[in-house]
Formats: sequence, C-alpha cells, structure tokens
Amino acid sequence: MLPLILPVVLPLLAAFLVMPLARMSALIARALGPIVLTTSLVLLLPCCLDPPAQPLVLAIGNFAPPLGIVFYGDRLALLFANAVALFFLLFWDWRGGNPQQARQDALMLLLAASATGLALSGDLFNLYVFYELAAVASFGLVSLSGTGPALVATVRYLLVSAFGSVLALAGIALLYLQTGTLNLAQLGIDPEPLQGPAGLLAFGLMVIGFGVKAELFPLNYWVPEVYASAPARISALLAGLISKLAVLILLRLLVLVYGDTAAPQILLFLGILTIFFGEFSAWRAQDFPRMIAFSSIGQLGLVFIAFSLSGSWGVLAGIAVALHHLLVKSALFGLAHRWSGSLQALTGSAQRTPLAAALFVLFALSLIGVPPLPGFWTKILVLAGLAQEGSALAFTGLGAILLVTAVEAHYLFRFALQLYEKVENAPAGFRSFWEFLPSLLLGAALLAVTLRINPVADRLRAITQQAADRSFYITQVFPQAAAHRKDQP
Amino acid sequence: MALDFVSILYIGALGLLLLGTFGLVTTTHLFRLILALALAEAGVNLLLILSGYRGGAQPPILGFGPQDMPMVDPIPQALVLTAIVIGVGVQALAVAAAVRIYRRYGTLDLVALKAHLEGDLARKQGIAPPKSAEKPAGERPLSPVPPRPQEP
Amino acid sequence: MNALDLLFLLSGATLLCALLFGRTRWAAPLLLLGYAAQFVALLQTNALFGEPISLSWSLVVLDQPMHWRYDALSWFFALITLGAGFLSTGYGSGVWMRDYERAGHSAGVLHTALAANVFSMVLLVGAEDFLSLFLGWELLNWATFFLMALRGGIAARAALRYLGYAFTGGMAILGAMALLYAQAGSLEFQPIRESLPQMSDGQLWVLLALLGSGFGIKMGLLPFHLWQAPAYAETPGPGSAFFSAVSARMGLYAMLVFFVGMVGLARLVQMEIPYTFLNGRDLLAWIAVFTIIFPTYTALQQQDARYLLAWHGIGQGGYMVLGVLVGTAEGSAGGLLHIFNHAITQVALLMAVFAVLYRTGTTDLNRLGGLVARMPLTFLTLLFGIISLAGLPPMAGFVSKLLVYRALLFEGMPLLFVGAIIGTLGTILSVYKLIHNIFLGQLRLEHESVQEAPLSMLIPMLSLSLLIFLAGYFPGPTLSWVAAVQAQLGLPVVNYHLGGVYDAHGGFNMIWIVSVLLAGFGIGALVFFGLGGPSKRVHQLDNYAGGHFLYAENRYQYSDHFYAGLMHLIGPWYRGSFQWLERALGSIVDFLAHFTNGFYGIAQPLLWSLAAVLGIAVWVF
Repeated sequence: MLPLILPVVLPLLAAFLVMPLARMSALIARALGPIVLTTSLVLLLPCCLDPPAQPLVLAIGNFAPPLGIVFYGDRLALLFANAVALFFLLFWDWRGGNPQQARQDALMLLLAASATGLALSGDLFNLYVFYELAAVASFGLVSLSGTGPALVATVRYLLVSAFGSVLALAGIALLYLQTGTLNLAQLGIDPEPLQGPAGLLAFGLMVIGFGVKAELFPLNYWVPEVYASAPARISALLAGLISKLAVLILLRLLVLVYGDTAAPQILLFLGILTIFFGEFSAWRAQDFPRMIAFSSIGQLGLVFIAFSLSGSWGVLAGIAVALHHLLVKSALFGLAHRWSGSLQALTGSAQRTPLAAALFVLFALSLIGVPPLPGFWTKILVLAGLAQEGSALAFTGLGAILLVTAVEAHYLFRFALQLYEKVENAPAGFRSFWEFLPSLLLGAALLAVTLRINPVADRLRAITQQAADRSFYITQVFPQAAAHRKDQP
Repeated sequence: MALDFVSILYIGALGLLLLGTFGLVTTTHLFRLILALALAEAGVNLLLILSGYRGGAQPPILGFGPQDMPMVDPIPQALVLTAIVIGVGVQALAVAAAVRIYRRYGTLDLVALKAHLEGDLARKQGIAPPKSAEKPAGERPLSPVPPRPQEP
Repeated sequence: MNALDLLFLLSGATLLCALLFGRTRWAAPLLLLGYAAQFVALLQTNALFGEPISLSWSLVVLDQPMHWRYDALSWFFALITLGAGFLSTGYGSGVWMRDYERAGHSAGVLHTALAANVFSMVLLVGAEDFLSLFLGWELLNWATFFLMALRGGIAARAALRYLGYAFTGGMAILGAMALLYAQAGSLEFQPIRESLPQMSDGQLWVLLALLGSGFGIKMGLLPFHLWQAPAYAETPGPGSAFFSAVSARMGLYAMLVFFVGMVGLARLVQMEIPYTFLNGRDLLAWIAVFTIIFPTYTALQQQDARYLLAWHGIGQGGYMVLGVLVGTAEGSAGGLLHIFNHAITQVALLMAVFAVLYRTGTTDLNRLGGLVARMPLTFLTLLFGIISLAGLPPMAGFVSKLLVYRALLFEGMPLLFVGAIIGTLGTILSVYKLIHNIFLGQLRLEHESVQEAPLSMLIPMLSLSLLIFLAGYFPGPTLSWVAAVQAQLGLPVVNYHLGGVYDAHGGFNMIWIVSVLLAGFGIGALVFFGLGGPSKRVHQLDNYAGGHFLYAENRYQYSDHFYAGLMHLIGPWYRGSFQWLERALGSIVDFLAHFTNGFYGIAQPLLWSLAAVLGIAVWVF
C-alpha cells in the first residue's frame, strides 16, 4: 500500500523540511523536492503501466471505514496521481535563482501532496481538507512574486475560493444531516436519502464550492487575473492539473450517489454557460496568457458537459476531454513563460523560434478538434453523447459547443497567422528550446497519442469501466457489504 | 412552531451564514470582506456541529456518564475543528495579503484594486489602455446613395 | 496491396517528397513524377468502369471503423484532382518558381502545400463513412488554409476569412454527424442510408440545413460565397489554378454523396416547405440559380483579372448543382460534365492570366491592352478558355451547358432556365471584358518589349487549350465517364455517343456542329486569304485618324467603365447586402464577446455566485 500513502506523506514532510534545510544547505533543499517527487513517480508508475487487477484500497491508520479514512486507488485515481507527480516534475523550477526559492519549493510540494490526496482519497471531508490545502498552497504560489497584480489576483481568488469552501462545507453538512456518513462508498451503498431536494441542493452547493477550482461559471472570474499575473508554470499546474482534480471529486459523487437523479443537469447547464463565457471572452483577449486562460475556461466547460452525459459514455467522454486538456493546456502555459506580453508584441515570433510556433499550431489544432489529433476524438465523443441524450438542453449544448469551437478556431488562428507574419525585427522570444522543454515533451506525447490512438482508447475504456461502476467501488471498499447492501443495478 | 434550543441554534447558524454571505456579496472593502468571510465560516461551522446533535445525549467522552446513554455524534466536531483551523489559516493569509496590498496600492477598495490590477497587467504587457473611439466602428452598412461603378 | 493502396501510398510519398526536397532543384520533376505515378495508379484501380475497389487497410477508432473505397464518383474527382495538381506543378516549375523565390517566398512550402491539398483530396473522395469523410474534409480545409495563407499579407487575411467560414461549415457537418450517429447508431454510409427513410421531414430539414451549409460553404453557394474570390485570387499562381479547378468541387462531391447518393432526389422533392409551392429540391435549385447570377455579375464589375475569374468560378458551381438537381439523365450529365469542363477551362484561363502577370507584372484590367501582338499563344489559350466559359461552341463548356439547358427546358423548369441564361449572358459579357482589356486594343508603351510566356507555362496552357477543343469536338469519352458516375449514384444514365447524346427529343451531335462551324471558318479563311488581294502586316499604330498620324504616347483606345450602361442599370442592385450580412454576424460575435468580457471586468462578482446558488436552490425545490 506504499504507492497510496507515500506520495501524499513524503511531499508533505518534505514541504516542511525544505525551509529549515535551506538555511543549512541550499543544494540539499533544492534537491529535496525533485527527489521526493521522483520517489512518488517511481512508486506510482508501475501501478499505472501495469495496473493491478483490483484497485488498491488502504484504510489510513488501520481505522476501518466508514469511521476511518480510506484511500481508494482505482485506475483513474492512480492515473491522476501519476499525472500529479509527472507534471510537477515537468514544471518544477529547475533553474532556481529565485530569492524565495525555498518557499516556492515548499509550497509546490504542499500542492503536490494535496493534489495526490485529492486524487486518491475516498472520504468526502478528507477531500475537502486536501482541496483547501491545495487552495492555500496555490494562494501562496500565486502571490509569491509579490507584484501588485499578483497580490490583488490572489486576494480575489482567495475570496471566491473561501466563499466556495463555505458553500461546499454547507453542502457537506447537509449531506451529513441526511446520511450520517461522509465516506464515499458508504454514501453509495444507500443513495436513497440523497435523491430528494435536500440531497440535490447539497450536490449543487458542492458543485459551486468545488467548481471554483474547476473554473466553473460564475465562479471563474479569478482565472484570467491569476493566470496572467502568476508565473507561467504555476498557471500550467493550476489550469491543467488542479482543475481536473476538483472535477474528479464531483465525478465520484456523481457516479456513486447522484447518477440517476437530475443532478447532471446542473453540470450541463453550468457547463454550457462556462464554455460560452470562456470562449467568447477569449475572442477579445489581448495577451497570450489571458487568451489561453479563457480557452481553458471553455475547455473545462466542455469537461462539465461531458460528465453530465449519462452512463459510462459520460465518464469516458469526460475523462478523455480532461486528459486531453491536461496535456494541451499545460503545454500552452509552458509556452506562455516567454510569450507573456501582448499578442501584438508576438507578431512574427515564428521567424526566431519556429519550433515554438509550430507547437502552438499543433496544440491549437488539437484544442479545436481537427482529426486525427486526439482532441477530435474527445470532442466527437461529447457531441455524439449529447445527440444521444436528445433533451432540449442537450441540443442547446450541442449547438453551443459547435458555435464556440468555430469562434475558438478563429481567434487561435488569428494569433497563429500573427506568429507567422513576416516582420523586420522579430521578437526575441525563447532563447533556447530548454525554456519550453515541457511543452516540447507534451507535444511529442500528443503526437504519440495520435499515432497510438487505439491502445490509448482501450486503456481509457478500461479506466472508465472501473470508474463508472458504482457497485464495484462499493464492493472494493466494503467487501462485506456485498452480502447485505440494497441491490442496485 | 415550537422553538426549542436546537432550532434557535439552527436559525442562528443559518443567520450567520446569510449575514456573512450578504456581506461577501455586497461589500467592496477588502477588510470587511474578510470579516464577512469569518462570519460565514462561523455560521457554517456551527451548522456542521449542529448536524451531529442528538437530543438528550451526553458529550462523546468515554467515562463521562453511564455507558448506555446515547452520545452526541463526535465526527462533526472533529470535522469542524479541521474546518475552523482551515478557516483561520485562510483568513490569516487574506489579512496578510490585505496588508501588503494596502502598502502597495494605498487602498482596500475592490473596485479601485481591480482597476489597478488591470492597469498594471496591461502596462506590463504593453497593451494600450482602452480609449473611446473617434467614430463609429465598422463601415456604414448601406450607402444612402447607390454606388457608382468603380473608378479605375 | 491493391491499386488503391498504391495510390494512397504514392500520394503520401509525394507529400513527403515535397516536404523533404521541396527546396531543391529536383523538386518539380520529382513532384511531377509523383503526380504522374498517382495518375497511373488511379487508372489501375479501374474504379470507373469496373468494380469499386476498397483500401485493404482500415482503421477502427473507438469502435468506429473508417474505410476508404474508390468508386466511379471517386475516380472522376480524383482524376480532376491529379490532373490539376500535375498541370499546376508543371506550370509553376521552372521560370515561375525562380521568379517566386526571388521575391522572397519559399518554393518548398508552396510545393508542400499543393501536395498536401492533393493528398487530402485523394483521401476525401475515397471516404466510405462519415468519419473518414470528415477526416479528409478537415485535412483538406487545413491544407487549403495553408496554401492560401503562405503568401502572407492580404492573402493571409483572406485565408483567415476562409477559415472562419470553413471551420463553421466543418462544425455544422460535425453536428450533423452527431445527429446521424444518434439516429442510426453508426457513422458508416450503409447503416445511415438504411435509416434515412425512417427519418421524419423535420429531421431531414435539420440535416439538409447543417450538411447543406457545411458542404455549400466549401462550394461557395450563396450566401456563403464571399470568402472564395479574394482567397482564390490572392493565392500564388499554381495554387490559384489548382483551387479554381477542383477545390470548391469537393463540396459538390460531398453533396453528391449525401444528397444524391444517400437521401435521393425523390426524397428531396417530397420535403415540402410549408406555405409555399417549393420543396427541398426547388430550394437548392434556386440557391444554385442565384449562385449563378449574382457572382457572375459581380465578376463583371471586377478590375482585376484574377478576381474576375475567381468570381466566375463561384458562379459556374451553380450550373453543376443545378444540373445534378434536375435529376434526369441529361441534366445530371450536364452538371457532372461541367465539373470536368469547367476545371480544364478555369485552369487554362488562370494560367493565361498568370502568364500575363509574370510578363507584365500586373493583372489590373485597366493597365493592360493590346497584348495579342506580343503574346499570341497566351491569347489563344485565353480565347479558347473564354469561349468555353461562356458556353459557346465549339468548346467543351458548350456541351455541358447545353445539356443543362435542355434538361431544364424539357423538365418544365422555365424560370430556372431563364436564370441560367441570364447567368450565361453575364458570363459572355464579362469574359469579353477580360479578353478585350488584356489582349485587344492598343498596346501600351511599357509593354512593348513583353515576350511570349515561357515554355514551362506555354506547354500546360496549350495542352489544356487542345483538350478544351477536343472535349468540345468529341465529348464522347468524357460523357462515358459521366455515365459511369451516374450509374454509380443511382441517377438515370445518359445515352451518349462519340459526338454527343441521344435523348427523347433527338439529342445533339457536336461533331456535326463543330464541323459545320469549322467549315464556315474554312470558307471564310478561303475567301480572306485566297480571293483577297495581297496583304501586308503593319504595326498597330501605322495608321491615321482624323487627319493625324497616331503616336504611341497617346491613348486612342480606352477601356474604362466597361459596360457603363449596364452598370448604370444593375449597379444600384449591388448594395453589398451579403457583405453587410457577413459584417453583421461578425458584429454579433464581437458584441457577445464584449458581453462575456464584461463579466470578467466586474469588481465584485460574488453576487453572481450567490445568484447561481439561489438558482440551484430554486430549481431543486
């Protein structure tokens, strides 16, 4: 059970050790973070590449659920835990030289620990705690540079995040009032009490609460401000990774408890609004970080719409869109490291850095869904699912996604044409390809997925099969409950 | 409607939550927002504790009273402890950020701060500040006079 | 590995060659070889007269199979594609490419873009299910965008405008695919064909709107035609010729596959528009007729030869759709034949115009004139081209247009016939302007030393001229291809022979028509050269007028305000309504963007979050 617990505990420990160690030896303090993250990756990677037949279930401190907290490592959770370790290593600050280096490393490790916990935990309050921990770590990381905009953006983010947490906690309280337990599997055993209005209200409050990090409308006003004023690698991690983990909580609730209710309609409605507001605002964006920040809002709207589809189709579509966006958006923010000025200032960048411009074109094509890139397959999954739903709201969503994608194509390629314009003095941009190495690696990964789309699809289907199966989750956490739980299809 | 002790507490908790939410939503002064947040969090914490209340039960301490007496649910109390700590931490962070913002910008008004944020970002990125247009945007949709054939 | 595998492989290999060797000296011969090899492979597939041939490799993604198959329709379009690619590359090799590179552009990029276009078209016309159709469609859209944008500047702006239209069309197609999938449970053609009869009229209208818009945008049907002329005209020479020949016809291919092959014209006739006497087919036919009329008269007003021809390209597409929609053997034969005839015509015309551009440096119709004295062979090409474009004997365009006219008349569609005739009138007028302003009239001083087009350009131009003439004289072979396509699509097959067609009203025979015409010319030549006195060639200006000798510095022959009278009549009709519509849609998007951006400028947006919570609470209870 080490792969479940060490990736959470070690970074936590290291986070608090980095600051004192930095006083003694800067080198050890700087090396501690990558070492710990590599250890986590080494522990988790075999579970992802060669998944065990049964999910890994660990009761923390040997306190049995539902009183104790259980860590549930099915293929989906392990995939995200791996992604956390991998992406944190990819976007680690290898160059150093930051006056606040130790603090930054500590906060990154905190964020990594809480993100892994978000992926693995099976208890609702534990998830809330990890969510808050991730929030606090991200507040620190965003405001670390100390510039005025960063501070104001942090405070605005903090306020809406805290507001969301208050609502989420209210939702959890409501849930606890109805059922008396906060263990996800326990909630799934008998979801009857939660199918009524009170339970739906609790779900709605939690959607609003956890939707802050998941960039849901109307809670996503912090996104352009924070992603424009924070360092690009922090934005990459927040936009790519943390937002998906926030959606993961809602997914677990949806699969285990609220699958047969009208709860997905909340997600569909808010998802349509999110995608609309996100992509249309991106049309008017005048600088690169904000353009891709708005685009990430749009894509997360798509994730919400995907998860609102019924059955395992929705789970598959949602996971596919989420993973695709994780790849592409992190890579785009990796490019934003140097392309942080206005779009006008980047005119003609392709002359000096053709590789970066080509990468941008590749990611743009995949974002808007051009076959044979993976973005197309994720999009058509969502569209076919919406058409199959057949409700009026689903058709509205279908039309909205198509309209918004056309707008997205226009503004992305308006910028791409600007990149390739011939100008006399092209902007300097990247000094060497090491500066956008994460984006390069992610681009290579995208192309690899394109070529091997079928094996990837099969893996995703296997992951979905586990993740969308309610009774499987319950029987894994509570083996004895299989005998006398209410029979649900 | 018989108002017993627990109902009053529920009303109080909800009231705190509503007060705090109202404050969060309407105020534009940063410090007042933090205070409103504290109120709202207090309300929610109270709500959470109340969810564990059992009528006529005793505190969840072994050896406090007879063994067979029902106990209040201890789990919400543990949850609330965590929530209070989280809340305190976040509020402390917020106050620290507010202090630094005041030192940097000299104001705690959200509207002014948003303007500063946008202005500073725009200046850093080299985007010109928005200006009113000199004339209507776009071209005249339909010419009032039928167009002449094009001049060479 | 069968012939189709070979074709696809060679197509990909040509693209790879263009990518790797595009900058070297051997690029053009290598690519010509590649296109010729693809052509040979296409012939070997024998898909036109033989059985359809399937690709031996298929892809299955997410349980959806993607196959490729070549049948007669695919063969027909692939032939035009490969021919256009071959001729364009041949035209653009040698002198033109040296000039292009000297202007600072990259030959390799142009070759790659052209090869990518050919490759994606070869893929597209072989699609056997909607997924592979969409894959080919999107690849083609992006390859087209690439070829349009690579010149930069005004071409890039036109390409961005094209992208807006094309991607919206692609999304409409994707939406229709999602709906079809929900209805039929699969994206393959056969299950969809079987589920179409069970769909209600309402569902079919939605599909007609979505797919019609999607395919119509690519084709340049009204009201989606505004992007085509600037985009095609500003593309560099070979690219422009290639686009005009076949790029827009891919939309027609898709329409043929879906609306004729799967839905069927009979079903379209059954779909009635309430409160009118029109049905689905009539709606499309009238859109086609307006597509013929409006762009043709817009072409009349153009001052740039490339734009004039590009607008004609839009208009002629309407004839093809119109012919196919009539549905009879003659009508659909005319429409399908026009695809081929117009392709060879348009390529010849554009090659001539770009040869003039190469030699004189301008295509502005008000700055040229009298070039027949200096570029007689180019003049000949243009002459053949415009006779064919106007649809006059003895050239190829006459055959296809005559078939369409006959079909319209005999099927009892006089109004559509009148519309088509109005379009032809506009075509005749505007192509005369084209040839007059460039080649006839007074030669300008600055063009005194202009030479004939170089050999690398002359060879494709003259061979196309010959082809245009032969296709008009002996339409039999091209009609045989069309008959095979008709058979495959399920349309009635035209009864053709070497010189023309037979039909219930007697048919026509081009051999007789052209021979009589040539005999007439022969008699005229006999009279002129034989019975006339000796003649001497003199310079154009070796003349006098009004008692004065002529001097080259004076302009005695003007061509400003061509058709001023006609423009005075129809000018007021051109109020820019379609541009207004396009700008209005752009303004709506802009307005929505302002609106959504406003949300992100609010200082205290938590109110909206509370509103969301309250909304959920209200909805729940």
